[in-house]
Amino acid sequence: MSELSATWLVALREMRERSRTRAFQLGVGVMLLVVVAMIAVPGLLDGQDEARRVGVTGSTPSPLAGILAAQGDAAGVPVVVREFPTTASGEEALRGEDLDVLLVDGRRLEWRGNPDEELQAAVAAAVQIVAIQERAAAAGLDPETVRELLGPVPVENVRIGVVAGRSVDDEVAALVMSTILMMTIFIYGSLVLTGVAEEKSSRVIEVLLARVPVRSLLVGKVLGIGLLGFAQLLVTALAALATSLAVDSLELPSVSGGVLVWVVVWFVLGYALYAMVYGAFGSLASRSEDAQSIAGPVGYVLIAAFWASFLAISGNPDGVWSQVLSFFPATAPMTMPSRLALGAATSWESLLAACLTLAALAALVAAAGRVYGNAVLHLGATLGLREAWKGPRHGG
Amino acid sequence: MLRFDAATRRFGELTALDGCTFTAEPGRITGFLGPNGAGKTTAMRAVFGLVSLDSGEVTWNGSPITGGQRARFGYMPEERGLYPRMRIREQLVYLGRLCGRARTDLIARTDHWLERLGLLDRADDRVDMLSHGNQQRVQLIAALVNEPELLVLDEPFAGLDPLAMIAMGELLVELAATGVTVLFSSHQLDLVEDLCQDVVIINRGSVVLAGQLDALRSATPERVLEIAFRGVPPDWSRLGPVTMRESPGRVRLELRSEEDLNRAIVFASAETELLSLSYAPPSLGDLFSRVVVS
Repeated sequence: MSELSATWLVALREMRERSRTRAFQLGVGVMLLVVVAMIAVPGLLDGQDEARRVGVTGSTPSPLAGILAAQGDAAGVPVVVREFPTTASGEEALRGEDLDVLLVDGRRLEWRGNPDEELQAAVAAAVQIVAIQERAAAAGLDPETVRELLGPVPVENVRIGVVAGRSVDDEVAALVMSTILMMTIFIYGSLVLTGVAEEKSSRVIEVLLARVPVRSLLVGKVLGIGLLGFAQLLVTALAALATSLAVDSLELPSVSGGVLVWVVVWFVLGYALYAMVYGAFGSLASRSEDAQSIAGPVGYVLIAAFWASFLAISGNPDGVWSQVLSFFPATAPMTMPSRLALGAATSWESLLAACLTLAALAALVAAAGRVYGNAVLHLGATLGLREAWKGPRHGG
Repeated sequence: MLRFDAATRRFGELTALDGCTFTAEPGRITGFLGPNGAGKTTAMRAVFGLVSLDSGEVTWNGSPITGGQRARFGYMPEERGLYPRMRIREQLVYLGRLCGRARTDLIARTDHWLERLGLLDRADDRVDMLSHGNQQRVQLIAALVNEPELLVLDEPFAGLDPLAMIAMGELLVELAATGVTVLFSSHQLDLVEDLCQDVVIINRGSVVLAGQLDALRSATPERVLEIAFRGVPPDWSRLGPVTMRESPGRVRLELRSEEDLNRAIVFASAETELLSLSYAPPSLGDLFSRVVVS
């Protein structure tokens, strides 16, 4: 049995056993539900794209309906016009929420509550145009010329981003990506932590180590849990995509395919890096309940790395700090994808940083393997990191 | 054949193994004895590379042990451990696969052992749903599932009820009969005496006595006379300077010659009403306390 196939067997077991636990299934379900709800609910509640219903009653000039629709389209507020024979019937429809506003005699707007400013502007503009057309006709001007003169001009709203040349969407995408990355590392790193601690406290570790090398066990566990995490992330992302297409509520950020590939690469590197450290810390605990507190510092480093990269990027993605952080292995996984998304880093920079992180990972596998190998068979009191590094002091 | 050759391992100040040398032969059961802390567990761990040696070596059939050879060894650690939430059959198959065995073979073998130990109907239960004794049985199967050539068991009888002990003993005898090398540690000397052809006794990391049990026993000049009697116990010290142990209605005398024997019997029959006599080489317990104390 080669080390590689042993590693794969260990990874397979992790995936099979973990995906069977109720905690995992519940976690996946809740995450899916939350993400789908976060996208779907605003889409369903959001009336922005729905046509506004305008009722007209009393003496209303005949071209008003057409002009209102044109004004609405130009302002991005589609409008449907309904005529009512009496003010009373129009008001009844308004109260019954069949209308958003009622225009009485071409001069008075009646609302159910506070006026909707966008709609008010569109209706007021239409009323003005109709009045001007009437006055122009009375003054003997050609109605066609007047209509052309008064044709609505569409005005666009644009929010500018922090970085010149990049949109707010890109920035949001970068932040969302690094947040998801950090959360995923934290959640799945913790699974590695408790997994290692459980193997130690249940003593199954000695049975395992009599069969497979330390490295296969540690790397296999990190790999299996990582693949599971990646699958969960993929399912969640697909569900989010499907939901946003279905309700058409969210504009997908303009992140290119190339950047997405890098995001995946950095997800893998970042997770592997931190999970190795979590695995080593997990082996120090004598009881699995202690594992979380022992590995506390790893969580602090992770959160500090996230904030450092967030602050540096939102300050200036091309600045010295952003550059340094995007090459330093502990912060690179959270910094480099953001810089790529913002167009602040090139692929070869990312490649160089990835090589540095890989080198760090290789060193870490050796170091974590040493700590793990020394600590995992140590029973009794919880070990310090330094003791575990030096090796066992007691035999059986 | 498993061979320890001057195996030495230190943990800081403590020398757990100190030039430890002995062999365990195929087709035989070797009892591995020693007081607590003598280095038994360290030695057994060294077979599986769980402890590295500072000097000396452990060999299997003459060559240093590799990972590939370990895949044909079975091990039951002193600290029992299985994945508590994993199903029994699945766990055993998994542990077998880590030894490089094919899945289908493993399922058949696992079921064979589960049936043999009366656990087949629990095969799909989680390990933590089993009683302590049944978990021990599963632990034993874990050591057997890869059809080991060498079986190393650290205190296999600890925590077993008397019936389970008998069953475990029968199993070991059966396995040895098929050519398996069996090495196990125990503090139950009577059990070792019943099961083992060979014994190795270590103390403070070094072997103090090793060899075939029968030969070791008969090689000692001492013989033990056990007398059961009725009546008031006489003053046995009148026999002269002999090592003895008295209990109500019984006495155990360590004798050095046939003269001593005759004198003791004459004395006993004169002073008491004899019920039974036995005269035999010293037991394993006698050998053990002699080499470990001195």
